[in-house]
Amino acid sequence: METLTIILASILTLAAPLIGGLLAGVDRKLTARMQERVGPPIIQPFYDVLKLWGKNPMISNNLQPVLAFSYFGFALLGAGMVAFQQDLLIVLFVMGVADICLTVAAINARSPYSYLGGRREFLAMLSYEPVMLLVYIAIFMVTGSFTIKGIYEFGRPLLLSLPLALISLEYVLVIEMKKSPYDVSGSGHAHQELVRGVFTEFSGYTMALVELGHWTKLATTLMILSLFWATNPIIGTAISLTMFITALLIDNIYPRLTWQKMLRNTWGVGFTLVLLNVAVLFLGGII
Amino acid sequence: MLNPETLVAVNVGLPAVSALALLALNKKGVRTAIVTVSVLSLVASALLLFESGGVAFTPGGIYGQFVIVLDFALLLYFLYVGFKVRSPQVVALGLTQLIPAAYFEFVVQGTHVSNVIVVDSLSILLTLIINIVGSVVILYALGYMNEHEHHLHLETSRQNRFFFYMMILLAAMNGLVYSNSLYWLYFFWEVTTLCCYELIRHDMSEEAQRNSVQALWMGLVGGVGFVAAMFIGYYNVHSIALTEIMAEPQSLMLAFSFIALAAFTKAAQFPWHSWLLGAMVAPTPVSALLHSSTMVNAGVYMLLRLAPSIKGTPLTAIISFGGAFTFMLTAVLAIRQRVSKRVLAYSTIGNLGLITLCIGVNTPLSYSAAVALLIFHSVAKGLLFMGAGVVENKIGSRNIEDWEGLLGRLPLTTTVMIVGMLSMFIPPFGMLLGKLVAVDAIASSPLYLSLPLIILVVIGSAATTFYYAKWIGYMTVTPNSLAKRRDELLDHTYKISLLGLLTIDVVISLGVAFIINNLILPITRNLYPIVITTPNFGINLGFTSFPIIALWGGSLAVIIIGALIAKVRGGAISPPYMGGANMPTNNETFRSTADSEVRVTLSGVFLDANIDEAFYNRLAVILGVIVTIALFVVEVL
Repeated sequence: METLTIILASILTLAAPLIGGLLAGVDRKLTARMQERVGPPIIQPFYDVLKLWGKNPMISNNLQPVLAFSYFGFALLGAGMVAFQQDLLIVLFVMGVADICLTVAAINARSPYSYLGGRREFLAMLSYEPVMLLVYIAIFMVTGSFTIKGIYEFGRPLLLSLPLALISLEYVLVIEMKKSPYDVSGSGHAHQELVRGVFTEFSGYTMALVELGHWTKLATTLMILSLFWATNPIIGTAISLTMFITALLIDNIYPRLTWQKMLRNTWGVGFTLVLLNVAVLFLGGII
Repeated sequence: MLNPETLVAVNVGLPAVSALALLALNKKGVRTAIVTVSVLSLVASALLLFESGGVAFTPGGIYGQFVIVLDFALLLYFLYVGFKVRSPQVVALGLTQLIPAAYFEFVVQGTHVSNVIVVDSLSILLTLIINIVGSVVILYALGYMNEHEHHLHLETSRQNRFFFYMMILLAAMNGLVYSNSLYWLYFFWEVTTLCCYELIRHDMSEEAQRNSVQALWMGLVGGVGFVAAMFIGYYNVHSIALTEIMAEPQSLMLAFSFIALAAFTKAAQFPWHSWLLGAMVAPTPVSALLHSSTMVNAGVYMLLRLAPSIKGTPLTAIISFGGAFTFMLTAVLAIRQRVSKRVLAYSTIGNLGLITLCIGVNTPLSYSAAVALLIFHSVAKGLLFMGAGVVENKIGSRNIEDWEGLLGRLPLTTTVMIVGMLSMFIPPFGMLLGKLVAVDAIASSPLYLSLPLIILVVIGSAATTFYYAKWIGYMTVTPNSLAKRRDELLDHTYKISLLGLLTIDVVISLGVAFIINNLILPITRNLYPIVITTPNFGINLGFTSFPIIALWGGSLAVIIIGALIAKVRGGAISPPYMGGANMPTNNETFRSTADSEVRVTLSGVFLDANIDEAFYNRLAVILGVIVTIALFVVEVL
């Protein structure tokens, strides 16, 4: 690999949390506007995290800070795998490890609210992981490669062959962003029955680490979505931003649903769309 | 330097001889000495065999007659057991073997084979697994059985009987993977069935008796499959040598169906899975041995032998679906289980299903994935069962609902368990690499196969993550600060075996590229024309890659930095949020109506209301029966 590529990929990796933070600011601004509020400045999330970092440290057990950092660390590792154009399946599993770290930290705090959130987060993972895996397999069937490098070498926009698969990823994105209707495990704001779910027991610097991890995951997922038009980075970015804004819209329109509905809808719609997409390609003689 | 012939003799003979010694000398000190010497020699001889490479020969002298005599003795014993426990299945299946075997031996006289023993790279790999993992488990059993018998308050120790069958099982497994004559193979196969039966009923409880009989008749179904395959082979190609039968795919498809049936029974694929679930009534070392390095691996071994000969046939597709159904349904069922060993048992059946699926997909890539999964699963599952056994003896419960906060109570054992579980399903461990290659291989096969298979695999894999992750979370719950911590006094054999196998588990994952290049690819290259190559320090097949160094380096860096941050920033340990109604004295209670103190209790996630266990069990049996029938129907059509 050339030196320049390595430098660029490293910069992209380290920029992932920053991009995610900015997007979190955009999220808050847009959501406020949809609700006819002014909303905070775009870089408010950075102020928040800096302030959280300086707070008096309080932890629920000695494992919690390690796991909070691991959530961020593994998300960053996943972002790196994307930046260095590695295997999509590896990215998925590394992101899964990040999620498991967060969830285990939520569960082992022995707090009723975060325990409830943790249980539901496991179910959220159960909901979106198979759909994402299936989309990656569909990408493999089209491009002949599981690596991001292979998608670039494929030379044609994936969106043209896999539009339905991209739609199924909208479900994944909503769950990953913990947005309504699938914010069952804990969302940006407190809910009556689970307070802040998985996030309840984090505070101060551990909360700051969790925020960083959340941003990194968001940025990584959006980077993967932009691969649907890999030949032109501008169109690719436009696709991922459209998906992102759609998720915000959905968040503001829909009330939250139960985890059963989350699982049923994500699997039902996700599986159907991807299979339909692959079937059409097969009948059309493309794969 | 010992020659390979001697090493083969040592691998089969030594455990058999020490088994007899252990049976005769029922004293703790003597037993420890014999077991220690035997397992060290077994590990050494397996490694030496790996060094010296393959060999083919026929043992001279009376060995041939010896096997025949023992085989008939064994069949008569099975018949005796069948009458004694009044099991019509055992009697019927015993007779279906005894009469044809006698006819074959005395009337047809067709047991002559030019090379009775053929040791190739696949046999050597299996020997490495059997001798290394098996030895660690037997070492572990030394400590476990003392505690076990202590709990049972026995007057005279029955450990001589226990270790006799454990050692015989190792001998038989080694014999099985070396045999080229179907007759010898069949004999060793029956010996493993015998050991399995005797070990499951070891504690002689009513349940143990019942489950052992079930294991026996299901094992005998496999035996019938072998006898049938032997007849078909002999009458079609006039040989019962495995190498010659496998070289004649066209005329012998029916024989292959019978061998696949036998393999399914041993590898506990649907509908033959119930014996393995029942086997957990036995002392834990038995489960650790059956589920990891022996018994179930015999089934996988037969499928691995079979695969190249049935490439491209409908039979191989059916095998892959059998495995896929098993993988998916067991993963869902495992979510529901509360008994630790039962979760692990379902996990074993599921992973064997994944291996079977890979073998059925039958490409060089999927075959390599199957072998990789076999290796990593053996080590990790041996570790998990041993850990579960220690926990059971220490906390006196098999229910994982009682495992809350186990990390605080039994730190060493629980850490070993957690690493073992993580090695089953997350990167950078080898098991995940196996799964990854499996997905690659399935996705590369024709669409009518890949689509249904892949759906079963993605659901099964997500459910696997679910049931292991929730279990791990539950074990790490902060222990009740007021509860007195128990001292984790572990026997030396526990420490050596747990930490030893843990080290192997981590080292083989670190050195996965070496394992692939030196153990797995030589096997695949022998059988398939296409050559796969990969660098020694990373896996890169072009369309897929597994950056070992980046993943290990990254993961370790994350954990180390995380620990450093935790150390530097630290923080006061504070009570959880309970709506502001915490009791000041206790982290686990809150103030309820009229100032009463209510303790928060946690329970695991089992999705009782969402997973109808009876329905899934029925589905498993129905699908399994359909697959079993299909194994034979394809040959008729």
